[in-house]
Amino acid sequence: MTSVMCQSVRYLVFMSLLLIWASPLSLQAADTTFYFDEPEKSAVFRELTAELRCPMCQNQNIADSNAMIALDLKRKTYDLVRQGQSKQEVIDYMKARYGDFVHYHPPVTPVTVWLWLFPVLFVAFAVVMLIRARLVNTDHSNTTVNRAAGGTGNVADSPAADPELDANVSRADALMDKYK
Amino acid sequence: MKKISILLLPLAAFIGVSGFFLKGLFSEPRYEVSIAVNKPLPTLSLPDVMEPSKVYDTGIFKGQKTLLNVWGVWCLTCAIELPYLTQLRENGVRIVGLYYQLNTDADFDQKPMPQLQQEIRDMLAKHGDPYQFNILDANRSYGMDLGVTGAPETFLVDEQGIVRVHHIGDINPRVWSDKFAAYF
Repeated sequence: MTSVMCQSVRYLVFMSLLLIWASPLSLQAADTTFYFDEPEKSAVFRELTAELRCPMCQNQNIADSNAMIALDLKRKTYDLVRQGQSKQEVIDYMKARYGDFVHYHPPVTPVTVWLWLFPVLFVAFAVVMLIRARLVNTDHSNTTVNRAAGGTGNVADSPAADPELDANVSRADALMDKYK
Repeated sequence: MKKISILLLPLAAFIGVSGFFLKGLFSEPRYEVSIAVNKPLPTLSLPDVMEPSKVYDTGIFKGQKTLLNVWGVWCLTCAIELPYLTQLRENGVRIVGLYYQLNTDADFDQKPMPQLQQEIRDMLAKHGDPYQFNILDANRSYGMDLGVTGAPETFLVDEQGIVRVHHIGDINPRVWSDKFAAYF
């Protein structure tokens, strides 16, 4: 039936979308043009090329970008790592020429600290507002309706449970049970 | 009174955000920061394109203001700015070229020198020659020390060899009056 066909079509669409999403992951194979004798250096190189931003394209790291400057920086990174420089030394080398923006991890300065502070402060503010809204809601004694019915608006003076009202309410409930 | 000011809050927020976006419409889409500015030029030891036996150092910038223009024959925008730069030369501005060599494939050998020299001569004959001389940056290594990401880019170097302006893009009358004219 049509509903069964829709189900298998939906399954096919889902699987193909999943494969399309997953396929870029397979492209992160080791870069074959840059050889290292030590595997630790290869790991440092991979981390660096993933963390250094292409100064031209600005939304790709130098591992992915094919811009000439990205290839130059990748080659320079390879040379520096091969010479034995540490990850931080290579990052400092790049920052000395292209600025803090060339590294994907922003430094913590009085300006950039808001990147981390703002979400925390926002969540704290939202929690405070929610608590305040909750407190207002649970305090029913000082409502317009209550005061109009003769109440004084104080919790201590709230009227005791009205037996007649309760009896009528339970009779109404019993009547309604017939229709469930 | 409190109710009115709370009701005005979304309107104020809308105006604020609109102003922010309007400012964004006119701002630079790429984040451009220059590390070279207000610092001395990095150490230079590169040959002249036309006479490779002649090697330059940063001493060539001492004593007068110079525009160091990064360009290449492969660069279309450089061809467009050459006429204006030639005009600036005629008005007394000293312009030195940093030839940013680009190969079709960076992993292969570079163009043979005679071919490169001829291509440069042809291009300068066609569009105008603003350069006192051209420094050959064959590996783009000096460009990397300066923070160059492509061509055309221009550095204004003062009499002491300190970089004052780093402009990314071509030089035209608007850019000249905005960024460079104040120094001349």
